[in-house]
Amino acid sequence: MKAIVHAERCQGHARCLAEGPDVYILDDLGYNSTSIENVPPHLHEQARRGALSCPELAITIIEE
Amino acid sequence: MSVFDSGENARPEGVPVIDFDLASYKGIAASNEAWAKLRSTTPVAWTDDNGGAWIISSYEAVSDGLRNWQALRSGRDVRTIPGPGGSPDLLPINAVPVKTTARMIPEELDPPLWHPYRKVFNELLSPRKVEQSLYPRIRYWVTKFLDDVIETGECDIVDTLTSGVPGAVILEWLGFPKQEWHRFSAAFHNSSAYVPGAPNGQHYLDELEWAFERIKEEVANLREKPNDTLTSELSNKEVDGERTPYEYATGMVNMLMSGGVDTTTSVASSAFVHLHRHPEDRQRLLDQPELIDSAIEEFLRLYPPARTHGRTVVEDTELGGFLLRKDDRVILSEVSACHDETAFPDADKFVIDRFPNRHVAFGIGPHRCPGSHVARAMFKEMLTQVLERIPDYSVIEDGLEEYPNCTALGGWSTAPIRFTPGKRRL
Repeated sequence: MKAIVHAERCQGHARCLAEGPDVYILDDLGYNSTSIENVPPHLHEQARRGALSCPELAITIIEE
Repeated sequence: MSVFDSGENARPEGVPVIDFDLASYKGIAASNEAWAKLRSTTPVAWTDDNGGAWIISSYEAVSDGLRNWQALRSGRDVRTIPGPGGSPDLLPINAVPVKTTARMIPEELDPPLWHPYRKVFNELLSPRKVEQSLYPRIRYWVTKFLDDVIETGECDIVDTLTSGVPGAVILEWLGFPKQEWHRFSAAFHNSSAYVPGAPNGQHYLDELEWAFERIKEEVANLREKPNDTLTSELSNKEVDGERTPYEYATGMVNMLMSGGVDTTTSVASSAFVHLHRHPEDRQRLLDQPELIDSAIEEFLRLYPPARTHGRTVVEDTELGGFLLRKDDRVILSEVSACHDETAFPDADKFVIDRFPNRHVAFGIGPHRCPGSHVARAMFKEMLTQVLERIPDYSVIEDGLEEYPNCTALGGWSTAPIRFTPGKRRL
């Protein structure tokens, strides 16, 4: 699984972090610009929930 | 009726025209009902009320509008005709702009000038900063203010807790003298909670004016003689290698205080009244405390403190299938978006574990409330300690008072409660 973060859409709501604390990484300003190339299977649910929670729809999950 | 004189907003052609005088809806229930009716018939419409403006009420159109910062701007000087967005003494980010020269920085700036000021706020208010620096103080103040009343078995939960805590947290952080904290938080709360209509309304407005004047004075002093407070840091902040202008420095302090103080108050008070009126929801939270995070999002969605915002069109643009023209004013309703059935099934119901819950209580797009993380933290700690320490509280309905005007902010002015007395913790 890949979690692609579209940094230009991120506005720092930080809902991805709330739902996927072990997946998503925010910078010092609280924004996400880090796509995760290989989400380990035990974190798939966190990654999906984080993406679904983003009000800016800034995260795309690619299931492989 | 509006507070400003504007005959310039000519009605566009081919657009649904509606009566929608925001200030005429008294109380949250009536206001929500008016928004629901509007949303179901004309989610993008024009009204000659409020000075003449587009009025946007669906989740999709509100989100699109708030994201389109290139065309829908927040500044005071972006309009070529008088009125909000084109007058130095009107706050342009309000749907029905209030007359004030007090600026809100960074909210009323647009990119590129907005960027460095917003960065200042993002650095101060990131999730990590809130967790590390502010959460311990939040926990302390919630504990302390509950301690102050817990042996008596009664209090006004607004004055004691939901207004008191944000006031103490923000004002302590800014570094204002302790004896002024309550006056500041009361000034911001009372001017929303009792105006217009209260016999002493003018006094509350004077108090708000006092708050802004006091901030100006403090910033001026600290630019002369800096100290180690946050207000001093903001007063002397360098942007692009130069100290920020005095007006913008005061604007940042204005923003942190007015944004921080009475907004969390509104949603937390609404949550406490809700849990009184819906014992099944309270029981569920007591039985399953792990639901608190999703409950917080649902309270925010159902009772968003900031209900509307205003923008000014600076170039012709399309929204919801209509052409918005340069110099038009636009009213965008976050509360209506939050209650939109097409985005939230059973939108009028409190669904404690609603998922996903992409509400817009903190706005959307670049002006997303930068204080959202500290707001959630304060709200969560208040909710947690109330449920732990006074779980059987009941609201005295006869004593409940609502904000008289919920155009921009809605909430409970006062909410007296009774509970089984408990023990102090400190």
